[in-house]
Amino acid sequence: MDLYTNPKRSLLSRISIKLGKVEFKNPVFVASGTYGYGSEVSELADIRNLGAVVTKSITRLPREGNPPPRIVETSSGMLNSIGLANIGVEEYINKMIPKYNNMDIPIIMNIAGSSEEEYCEVMDLVESVSSNIVGYEINISCPNVKVGGMEFGVDCELTEKLTSQLRKRTERLLIMKLSPNVTDISAIAQSAANGGADAVSAINTLVGMSINIQSMKSNIHYGFAGLSGPAIKPVGIASVYKIHQSVKIPIIGIGGIKSSDDVLEYMLAGAFAVEIGTANYRDPNVGNNIISDINNFLDENNIKSINQIIGKVKLGK
Amino acid sequence: MKIEISTITDNKLIAYNIWKMKIDAPSIVKQYLGAGQFIQILVQSSWNSPLRRPMSIASVNNNEISIIYKIFGEMTRILSEKVPGDKLDILGPLGNTFVSDKKNAIPVMVGGGVGLAPILNMHNEYLSQNNNAILILGARSADEHFLQHDPDNGIYLSTDDGSAGVKGTVINAMDKYLDNFENIEIFSCGPEPMLKAVQQYAINKKIPAKISVESYMGCGIGICQGCVVERPNNNQSENSYHEKYSLVCIDGPVYKSEEVIIV
Repeated sequence: MDLYTNPKRSLLSRISIKLGKVEFKNPVFVASGTYGYGSEVSELADIRNLGAVVTKSITRLPREGNPPPRIVETSSGMLNSIGLANIGVEEYINKMIPKYNNMDIPIIMNIAGSSEEEYCEVMDLVESVSSNIVGYEINISCPNVKVGGMEFGVDCELTEKLTSQLRKRTERLLIMKLSPNVTDISAIAQSAANGGADAVSAINTLVGMSINIQSMKSNIHYGFAGLSGPAIKPVGIASVYKIHQSVKIPIIGIGGIKSSDDVLEYMLAGAFAVEIGTANYRDPNVGNNIISDINNFLDENNIKSINQIIGKVKLGK
Repeated sequence: MKIEISTITDNKLIAYNIWKMKIDAPSIVKQYLGAGQFIQILVQSSWNSPLRRPMSIASVNNNEISIIYKIFGEMTRILSEKVPGDKLDILGPLGNTFVSDKKNAIPVMVGGGVGLAPILNMHNEYLSQNNNAILILGARSADEHFLQHDPDNGIYLSTDDGSAGVKGTVINAMDKYLDNFENIEIFSCGPEPMLKAVQQYAINKKIPAKISVESYMGCGIGICQGCVVERPNNNQSENSYHEKYSLVCIDGPVYKSEEVIIV
């Protein structure tokens, strides 16, 4: 009843999306590593309006991360080399999962590892406890550490094998997060699909570097770092488009999203949902603003459901 | 913490390349805890520069906070061009405060460069409560100072070229004036070489010290993990979290001198 009589509810349903058995009230998620474990921003933003929160990459053991300096701003973007600093899966299970059970928002857990065994072990541990996590995003694309899974993310066979191993372990959503630092991202996406993934998310950061010409030192301790922010959006759009053209798998678009225009662009390229990353550092409320702006766009253009625009980009004049 | 669209009420040059900006920000003032805390400023709305810039709070009066900055790059140049009435998107108050650990000790507040902002703030907070305090400020030359060398009132300046106060660094001023005091506690903020020297001074003289460190910052609220400083512990394992590295934005920016490594 409420659904039809309450205008707010019906608005929400117009932008709701579905992946497998899971319904999200909108396609605007926040990306791993840019919203902590989900509760840190509660003073600044009402996170319940978001489509989902993807939590910071978790490894089997806690990790201190890389030595400073870890971040630097670049033109329309930033470089980061955090090095997967995280609390480890045991503390995640003990401290975070109970919190999620009281949070009214879908949580997607991001997992990183250095071996197939590590990914599997982390997932087994989480699967062995009761939780309302709706799915897993598997980080096979962190450019900053050896344990970031990058060797999986650039190799089709390893991606397919890891995906199928994880597929056996969970009925929850399985999303493989892909790297743009490859020759053909759609080939990796195809491998994830072959392995049984429900979706892929693309893109993780691009490898970059920045140097201080006064000190003649790298601005990041280890030199290489991951480039994110509006600077990488065209790369993200192209990657989503490329995957959408050749692989039958739902895509979550990531890379440089700061406005509803960016979200719509990703959806036109073929994404069914998006994750906001770097923009959260500037304003943790950006997701909420984007959601209301998407509704305005649908109103103005008389579009009945956000799903109608997915992959509808036209080429040519 | 709050994100507030504040209003600039004043913005002017107070010494050679040192600017002071006053900002009307009632909801941030409401949550303000004391000297040492900082704000994250979104200097301009363009996404050419996506991140906010951290700035120490230099004073709080009624609904107004002030910051002190040098033109150092593009963002501080843009900041210097703002005029009263302009809006400024700020996040704060963030971080911890300078707190005394030593009863009845005379606080010695040592600042240099733009690091003098939280030090001046602390000094004014002490004076307004009629407490004794010693202020030691360092600069390259007299034109970078906006206070007078005034030993009778506990204000000591140092300049690299000797054009005001003691010739040399803040350490030379400390060597000259602090040996007469029995029970003191040091609070310091400034460039890294200065902080390192203050750390060493405190160790040599066995004086407790707290220092406020600067760090390149992403979010300012503990999420991005970008602003870490190393803690001097013997833990060589990579498999811990938050033991070897501390987050300046939420654990700091003020640390006990012995609890942080200045590189």
